[in-house]
Amino acid sequence: MMMAQLQQEDKLNLAPKKFNMWIFIFTSFMFFAALTSGFIVYSGGSGKGIKIILPSAFMYSTAVIILSSVTFLIASRAAKQLQFAKQRMFLWITAFLGILFFCIQVYAWKILIDMGVYFINPNASQSFIYVFTSMHLLHILAGLGLLFNALSGSYKNIPQVKNLFRMEFAGIFWHFVDIIWIYLYVFLLLNQY
Amino acid sequence: MAFKNIFKFKTLSTAVAAMLLFATTTVMAEAPAAAAATADDASTTMWTGVGYYVLLFVLLATIVGIVGKILRVYDLTAQIQGKKAINWNNIMGVLCIVFLLAGLYGSYWEFTEQGTMSLPAAASIHGVDLDNMFSVTFIITVIVFFLTQICLFWFLFKYRGSDKRKAYFYPHNNTIEKIWTVIPAIVLTVLVITGFFTWKKITNTTEVKGDINIDVTGHQFAWELRYPGKDGKLGTKDYKLTTGTNKVGVDFKDKNSLDDQIADTLVVPVHKSIRLNIIAQDVIHSVYMPHFRVQINAVPGLPTYFKFTPTLTTNEMRAKVEDPKFEYLLYCNKICGGGHYNMQKVVRVVSQAEYDGWVAAQKPYFNDALKKELKMADAKQPKALGQNRLALNN
Amino acid sequence: MSTLAVHDHGVESHDHDHEHHHDTFISKYIFSMDHKMIAKQFLITGITMAVIAMVLSILFRIQLAYPEKTFPLLETLLGHFAPGGRLAPEFYLSLVTIHGTIMVFFVLTAGLSGTFSNLLIPLQVGARDMASPFLNMLSYWFFFLASVIMLSSFMVQKGPASAGWTIYPPLSALPKAMPGSGEGMTLWLISMVLFVASSLMGGINYVSTVLNMRTKGMDLWKMPLTIWAFFLTAILGVLAFPVLVAGVVLLIFDRSFGTSFYLSEIVVQGQVMPYEGGSPILFQHLFWFLGHPEVYIVIMPALGISSEIISTNSRKPIFGYHAMVYSLIGISVLSFIVWGHHMFVTGMNPFLGGVFMITTLIIAVPSAVKTFNYLATLWRGNIRFTPAMLFAIGLVSFFISGGLTGLFLGNAALDINLHDTYFVVAHFHLVMGSAAIFGMLAGVYHWFPKMFGRLMDEKLGYLHFWLTFIGAYLVFFPMHFMGLDGVPRRYYAFTEFPSMARWLSVNVFITWAAILSALAQVAFLFNFIYSIFWGKKTTQNPWNSNTLEWTAPIEHIHGNWPGEIPTVYRWPYDYSKPGAAEDFIPQTVPHSQTMSSNLVHDFEDNEAGLAAFHEWVKANPPREEVK
Repeated sequence: MMMAQLQQEDKLNLAPKKFNMWIFIFTSFMFFAALTSGFIVYSGGSGKGIKIILPSAFMYSTAVIILSSVTFLIASRAAKQLQFAKQRMFLWITAFLGILFFCIQVYAWKILIDMGVYFINPNASQSFIYVFTSMHLLHILAGLGLLFNALSGSYKNIPQVKNLFRMEFAGIFWHFVDIIWIYLYVFLLLNQY
Repeated sequence: MAFKNIFKFKTLSTAVAAMLLFATTTVMAEAPAAAAATADDASTTMWTGVGYYVLLFVLLATIVGIVGKILRVYDLTAQIQGKKAINWNNIMGVLCIVFLLAGLYGSYWEFTEQGTMSLPAAASIHGVDLDNMFSVTFIITVIVFFLTQICLFWFLFKYRGSDKRKAYFYPHNNTIEKIWTVIPAIVLTVLVITGFFTWKKITNTTEVKGDINIDVTGHQFAWELRYPGKDGKLGTKDYKLTTGTNKVGVDFKDKNSLDDQIADTLVVPVHKSIRLNIIAQDVIHSVYMPHFRVQINAVPGLPTYFKFTPTLTTNEMRAKVEDPKFEYLLYCNKICGGGHYNMQKVVRVVSQAEYDGWVAAQKPYFNDALKKELKMADAKQPKALGQNRLALNN
Repeated sequence: MSTLAVHDHGVESHDHDHEHHHDTFISKYIFSMDHKMIAKQFLITGITMAVIAMVLSILFRIQLAYPEKTFPLLETLLGHFAPGGRLAPEFYLSLVTIHGTIMVFFVLTAGLSGTFSNLLIPLQVGARDMASPFLNMLSYWFFFLASVIMLSSFMVQKGPASAGWTIYPPLSALPKAMPGSGEGMTLWLISMVLFVASSLMGGINYVSTVLNMRTKGMDLWKMPLTIWAFFLTAILGVLAFPVLVAGVVLLIFDRSFGTSFYLSEIVVQGQVMPYEGGSPILFQHLFWFLGHPEVYIVIMPALGISSEIISTNSRKPIFGYHAMVYSLIGISVLSFIVWGHHMFVTGMNPFLGGVFMITTLIIAVPSAVKTFNYLATLWRGNIRFTPAMLFAIGLVSFFISGGLTGLFLGNAALDINLHDTYFVVAHFHLVMGSAAIFGMLAGVYHWFPKMFGRLMDEKLGYLHFWLTFIGAYLVFFPMHFMGLDGVPRRYYAFTEFPSMARWLSVNVFITWAAILSALAQVAFLFNFIYSIFWGKKTTQNPWNSNTLEWTAPIEHIHGNWPGEIPTVYRWPYDYSKPGAAEDFIPQTVPHSQTMSSNLVHDFEDNEAGLAAFHEWVKANPPREEVK
């Protein structure tokens, strides 16, 4: 009896879990804030800037990730309106856009290397571009994991409460990853010279 | 109850420990015995030495166990007789007072005995300001230290627990709290302001150049000194030029570098403003000269400097500390590897005349070995160019 | 929270209810998701690590006391790390480094916060468990793994990391600079990344639990100071640790990929390295941005624990509860803007140094307020000397002694001559080392009955306290004077400097004091292990304490309370309230049951209650004021 209650409570105890995600986002934000402040201290101290024009691939990837946030919003609205087929479709699209983003970022590295901007570089400002993007891609991978978690839940027809929870859980993170990328991109653009 | 078992447990553990000890001693003694007969002696003494201390500890633990047992028995008999058992609150209260008195005496002893062992008065101009700052802070903190510690342990004794009394319900008093927020704040403001101005004065950068500029380069595990020579200017450096002979990588394309001098001892004239240009080659070091109250890190790739004016010559200081062998020292104060503990340079403060004599006798940095090396490099360069042309022609 | 109570009623027994009743050994003791078990796991791992770190410290203390003697035993035990029975200089630095790392991170962060946040947060705020028990379990196992990796670095041929616990590059980045910067350093970095992950998972859970899962009536201003301290500590950790990760990630890139974030213009042993343009100071900024809050991550839980214990055992409310909370908040906020005081002599912009000095000295104000409030709590109390109380008092004493020397070191001008000397060693060992360890020990003695259902032996506790307390002062007090004489820290031996020879006798004395304190820990370890199995059985509320954890049954059950979670009606410090029958009133007792002891102040946000109280006062003629 007791245990049953507890199990039940655990299951419905979703609000604190969602709160966990919000705190994690703060943590993650501090990580990127530290990296970008590291960049400022470095470039301010050494007088070395990025000194290149960023490849336009970053512009496309930015568009892709913003689009993926929109498709995710559509998916979560569909989930709320109990249109599960639509939810799944848009989740797939979101995941696809996420993977596309990943590929474009890797492609952008290739362009950078072709431009002679290497990771191992006496000008660490340029190395920082790789650090920012690779650390962000790690977050994209985690975000994709959460997306597939929501997707699998949807296929397994888990209770609507949990379905919505997973959607929200993934949503918070996915939008955050999106915003972080925009932050990093704008930061890099501002420091191009 | 617990102690009864402790006692049993102790006896048991004593036996176990003794057995273990015996076993290990014999085993350990035998193993090297097979290898070498001489090692046997050393090993045995080693283990008996350890065994002696272990036995001592076991004995001590047994005594503790016995005392515990006695206390327990005493407690029980008192209970049976309906008397009051040991009042631990009183004992602890008294111990607190004993500790307070012993602590007061101990810290007094330390202040007088070891306090005199600390550094003598500063031997530089800014060091005097710094020492004044230190005295102010010291007086404030020592007063607070004694007051609060006395209050703490006195309260512990005075208000030790008793069944007859009830504590005084006193959850807060905003006035008192405000007072003891504001007073530390005021004291700290004073410290911050005076400290800030002292700090500003020491690190004042308006007049960056000193009378004498000296280059100090740290590497594992020594310091290299370079004096500017007759022109009073140090030549530029490039770390890429570092070789066995050109230890700090001086760039001899810079004319200023040609008369630079190398030295083994940091000799400086008294009452002259000295600027040390500091850098490290491999890892972070720290130039520390406690008598002048000087410390700044030597960081690879990031030149730092410290400007100070010595006021006491080595001889004056020797008279002052009554030690004819006294030397000022410069040593490393940032962990830098295995030899960190022995990375020193002697610093000698002399009169201007002595300094002039000394500096004239110093060897030039640009010595014959370097000249030879540089010539060879010069000779190599055109050859290399020639090879390139050849390569192009092919 | 209240929703939990609602579900209690909503669920009736179903067939599948009983399937989780039978915990296997593995799910109960190893991969447990119960916060009480995880707390015990953290504690025992923490104590183990503390013992190891203590042994390391004794080893290097022996070297400092007898720099010229040989101890064949050392060679037998340590092999090539102690050739000929003397520690190798590099291994000495490894010992110092690993001692620092283990004590700061593994004992005083994970062992202290991990144990008591896990145990007390759910029990004192009235929750069934943490927000995410699974994350909580992961947090422990990451910590465990990190500990194992850290210790395994002793198995590496070249020895463990040895660049100091602050691992400043380039020393830590160049394997050529010292042997410990090879594989040992790699293991250190891996271990720390895992450790940070563990800390973050723990911290996220603590914050979320405190904010979301408090029981009915437990508003923020009714939380015990322990919870406030754990909560603020967790926030500090969540904000500060990611910055360390950022710093460490860049260091890993420098070490393993050859980038130049921190490295520049380096010539190691005559060989010019290809690094260019990096800034070693950047690492120090990133490290100390974590490192300074980390100091408060270490001390704040200890302060919270001692507040609770001092109040309980003085039988008096903590003096100035609000001031205590605000000073904790003040310390937390300020701790993020003082990191530069570790870098006064790095060649940092002197103006910046001045700013950091101002912020640093401001932080002394809330610390002073806390000290005075402790003293006021003891004043006119009815002090019960349990071992826990003694350790809490020891904390206050250390906090004063060590805190005052902070005024010297926080002053940029004075720091010029004191930086990296034994004065610093004495300062932080008193204020955060000994004080935090005493907070932790106080916590162990106080909540041992809650963890293991048995009491620890008091007399052995007394012995343990006095030996450790005196020993710690004997070890650290003389070090101040060594520092004032310009004796640098992290020196393998003081034999090379004739001026330092006169400190040799002091070093011998310190070493023997350290050995004494280390042996005193045997009394603790014996007491701890013995009492787990054979200690005296505890009563439900052995200390007559007010907080919620003592309303939970002695026998641990999953979910902490059978039936509903108790509701909270009052703050946790109603000790010796005039007019009350007992000298304590638990938080779960409503004011309506204690009319004779109520004060108008108790009804600040409760108009109906106040009206009822006024009626009661009218009906009962005013009694004589109890003094």
